[in-house]
Amino acid sequence: MAANFWTSSHYKQLLDQEEVDVVQSLDKDRGITLEDFKLIKMHMANYILKLAQNVKVRQRVVATAITYMRRVYTRKSMTEYDPRLVTPTCLYLASKAEESTVQARLLVFYIKKIQSDEKYKYEIKHILEMEMKILEALDYYLVVFHPYRALSQLLQDAGLNDINMTQLTWGLVNDTYKMDLILIHPPYLIALACIYIASVLREKDTTAWFEELHVDMNVVSLLKAKLCERGESIQFLLLGSCIEFVGCCNF
Amino acid sequence: MADLDPSKKVADRYLKREVLGEGTYGVVYKAIDTQTGQTVAIKKIRLGKQKEGVNFTALREIKLLKELKDSNIIELIDAFPHKGNLHLVFEFMETDLEAVIRDRNIFLSPADIKSYLQMTLKGLAYCHKKWVLHRDMKPNNLLIGSNGQLKLADFGLARIFGSPDRRFTHQVFARWYRAPELLFGTKQYGSAVDVWAAACIFAELLLRRPFLQGSSDIDQLGKIFAAFGTPTPSQWPDMLYLPDYVEFQYVPAPPLRSLFPMASDDTLDLLSKMFAYDPKSRITIQQALEHRYFTSAPLPTDPSKLPRPTSKREPTNSNSRVLDLNSNDGPTVLSPPRKSRRVMPDREAFEGNAYRADRLDDHVNEVRELAAGNTSKNEAAPMSLDFSVFGGKPPNRPTINSADRSHLKRKLDLEFQQ
Repeated sequence: MAANFWTSSHYKQLLDQEEVDVVQSLDKDRGITLEDFKLIKMHMANYILKLAQNVKVRQRVVATAITYMRRVYTRKSMTEYDPRLVTPTCLYLASKAEESTVQARLLVFYIKKIQSDEKYKYEIKHILEMEMKILEALDYYLVVFHPYRALSQLLQDAGLNDINMTQLTWGLVNDTYKMDLILIHPPYLIALACIYIASVLREKDTTAWFEELHVDMNVVSLLKAKLCERGESIQFLLLGSCIEFVGCCNF
Repeated sequence: MADLDPSKKVADRYLKREVLGEGTYGVVYKAIDTQTGQTVAIKKIRLGKQKEGVNFTALREIKLLKELKDSNIIELIDAFPHKGNLHLVFEFMETDLEAVIRDRNIFLSPADIKSYLQMTLKGLAYCHKKWVLHRDMKPNNLLIGSNGQLKLADFGLARIFGSPDRRFTHQVFARWYRAPELLFGTKQYGSAVDVWAAACIFAELLLRRPFLQGSSDIDQLGKIFAAFGTPTPSQWPDMLYLPDYVEFQYVPAPPLRSLFPMASDDTLDLLSKMFAYDPKSRITIQQALEHRYFTSAPLPTDPSKLPRPTSKREPTNSNSRVLDLNSNDGPTVLSPPRKSRRVMPDREAFEGNAYRADRLDDHVNEVRELAAGNTSKNEAAPMSLDFSVFGGKPPNRPTINSADRSHLKRKLDLEFQQ
């Protein structure tokens, strides 16, 4: 989707990490910690992905659905808005908003197929009721921007658009949805951070290219050292700090 | 069925007044916003029984209008659920451009026309700047407020564009406003389709009747070619490769002046640039706004001084006066040339395309049945009906807004995404 990010509602709605990391008081009363909160959201992001693979929708629908889900929980409690219902409903709403509609019937069929736990088993009418509540919780803002478009443009610009790098960076961008990054940072920064991580992992020299983007190279080498220490397995945990760094360099 | 009970407040905020009409996907009624004292129009979105939640067209409109805030675009003030239905609150608009054009008591000076066109183009320019295609430009979707401001409305067909290689359905716009590339079935198109429709509206303001009133998609092309001459490959090189291209008998273009005898040179120049055949060489909205037409005398009338119909918001269905007007000085100038040869016989009827799309989805009948129960604002006639059987009688305004059409279009949109 091409449109102007800087004049969009998405840009105006970007939050600080501290604003995102707030456990609603109703949830706190039930003993949910910030760690639990983050884990539940990560789990639900995976649930969206799993459902999406079954009903077969494009990655951007998945990304939009996860964004909706994360936005809802910056405003509503999990006590009142059961994640097991909110999650498939977000996928349902996102599929409509991204013009590749999935029938509620189909969604309910796959929920039953992949979830053995009774607590996940919601019916069409529940999803349709929740759709209205989610629309309200989102204040009817439905246009979401994602890093994928910026990613392919930046890769091309850096001359890194071979299959290997494209796949690696694309996967990294997918991983960023395990966190709340899309609520906090502009999508192009997330894309840049993913390119940076990928180029370190694949030992591609992107120094000159990043320098051209006016990046402080001291921070870059520091980050590189940090990344090499930790290795690939926990790469996505570093994404947050990587974006911080990319963010503080002026583009 | 006016509801005048002042005790009836919706969502603790709106005082319901009379019903204004039947919209594309539900009832529209007038209301007073008790928080601001402002008069508003509330669209009640009917929830379909097909168990597909919030109407897809309505959702599109909400999604885009939340991003589009401009003085020439209808404002979505609020949205709320009430008794299980979604309600959209818009600023109240007194009338629309169609009512202005067809009101024979109104005289439109060249300055008035310039003002209406300028506001239309400004609204469109804002959409295009935000990468949104309107795709349903027609006088009846251009609403006019009490201060004379013209605003683009009905974004139920609009969508975000700009991704290369994205394929969209060509079944957009009411037929009379459809660009030739759409009539030839293109699936990759851009803002130029809105420019063509704006040009049709421009012409309609000048002529005081719809300019190119085709009775079928093929007839529409015939009307276009009769007005501007059959396009040659040198004029429009890509034309030959369009999916539904058919060869038309060559007719030369009559002088544009003969179609618009009263128009100024600047008017004709802008008009011809907006009606360019090749979408690539068609003027953009921004360029059109910078055209000398808008800076040469007479300057556009101040919106508050524009003539408007005295009666408020007549129901759009009462087309009788339009019909009278058409039969007097109807489209006889533009007799459609006979189509000389079909290049693709299997694409014979445009209905055929629609039918194929239907079959793609086995639930479509279910939805169709439902859609049949929905009365839409312009029940006129399905788009692809051939009116030639009625002899000289001009057709009703075609529309693509009925619920089943939008469902069909949605299907078509989806088809191209896979």
